Amino acid sequence: MRFTKAIIPISLFVLLVSLAAPAQKRKSGPAKASKPAAVVSPIDTDALKGLLTQPRERPLLVNFWATFCDPCRDEFPDLVKIDNDYGSKSLEFFTVSLDDMSDINTEVPKFLDLMKAKMPAYLLNVNDPEPAINLVDRKWQGDLPATFLYNEKGEVVYKHFGRVNIAELREAIDKVVKKGSS
Amino acid sequence: MRIRILSIAFASLFVVAGAIAVGARATGEVPAPPAIGATIEDFTLPDVDNKDHSLKSLAGKNGTVLIFISVQCPVSNAYNERMEKLAQDYKTRGVNVIGINSNVTEDAAAVKAHAAEHNLTFTILKDPGNKIADKLGASVTPEAYFLDPNNKLLYHGRIDNARNAAQIETNDLRNALDAALAAKAIEKTEAKAFGCTIKRA
Repeated sequence: MRFTKAIIPISLFVLLVSLAAPAQKRKSGPAKASKPAAVVSPIDTDALKGLLTQPRERPLLVNFWATFCDPCRDEFPDLVKIDNDYGSKSLEFFTVSLDDMSDINTEVPKFLDLMKAKMPAYLLNVNDPEPAINLVDRKWQGDLPATFLYNEKGEVVYKHFGRVNIAELREAIDKVVKKGSS
Repeated sequence: MRIRILSIAFASLFVVAGAIAVGARATGEVPAPPAIGATIEDFTLPDVDNKDHSLKSLAGKNGTVLIFISVQCPVSNAYNERMEKLAQDYKTRGVNVIGINSNVTEDAAAVKAHAAEHNLTFTILKDPGNKIADKLGASVTPEAYFLDPNNKLLYHGRIDNARNAAQIETNDLRNALDAALAAKAIEKTEAKAFGCTIKRA
């Protein structure tokens, strides 16, 4: 009887340990990398030209950046805030990454997820970036980040090379955004 | 520097006058690079062991290539082998390659360790306060300048069109070097460099 009383708790303990073990193993095993939520689309020079020149009802903000560019990463939270504050009804906004094409499903969307960025995101998929750089601005040397604001007519009304001054950018946006549309 | 001050003053006047109806104001620009054909003044910079070298003392008898490079930039690093090969290939033809690191974020010790790790055998100079980057209007790494034996600027810009060596279509810097060495006109004297922004002081 005493033996029976002793064996029951021991058996229960063994059973619990054996049930818990696989769960423990699952927890400590290598975590499966989750797929980034952000979608980054490849874009070539012609498609970029189409996006920049198509008729629009709102001003357009375009930011060229890369994950390897420190000032680009630094300014990104400010740009996300601008996107959230103005909204797509008053301001079109898209980003163009100049990362390597091999980063399109990994580093670039991972960073966009981290930033909670919702604006359309592209990655320049070209063998030669020079025509795209010249298309955007012949004076632009290709240094990153580079930010351009176009009015509804497609004219560049503000541009900045290097980390953007957020107050200056907001001031420029406020000048071209229609009041009451945000 | 004078150009930069003048352009800032000019831009400020524009703003004060409120004269821009439409006309973008570019901010954050680096000083303009010298024009092709301009003569680059001699300068002196320390190497990674803090030993001073003048441009004149490092110049090749048939010309010199200055390349702004970086320790951390993945684009510059993608060119390590190509830059070393370029230095080896043209050394025998009288053109010396000199690397310049102007990044305030990368000290001489880091530059030295990086060169050893990646077998970069050409001389690399540190550019404290990015004075030479400003003088040459260098924006990114890698960015190349090819000077003739009299330090006249013959080519400025990228090494080639592609960060990924498998996608090279135009070897702009080599084309310029080959043309100059063959006493022919350089077809393309400028091609926009693409890479990481130089981290200025």
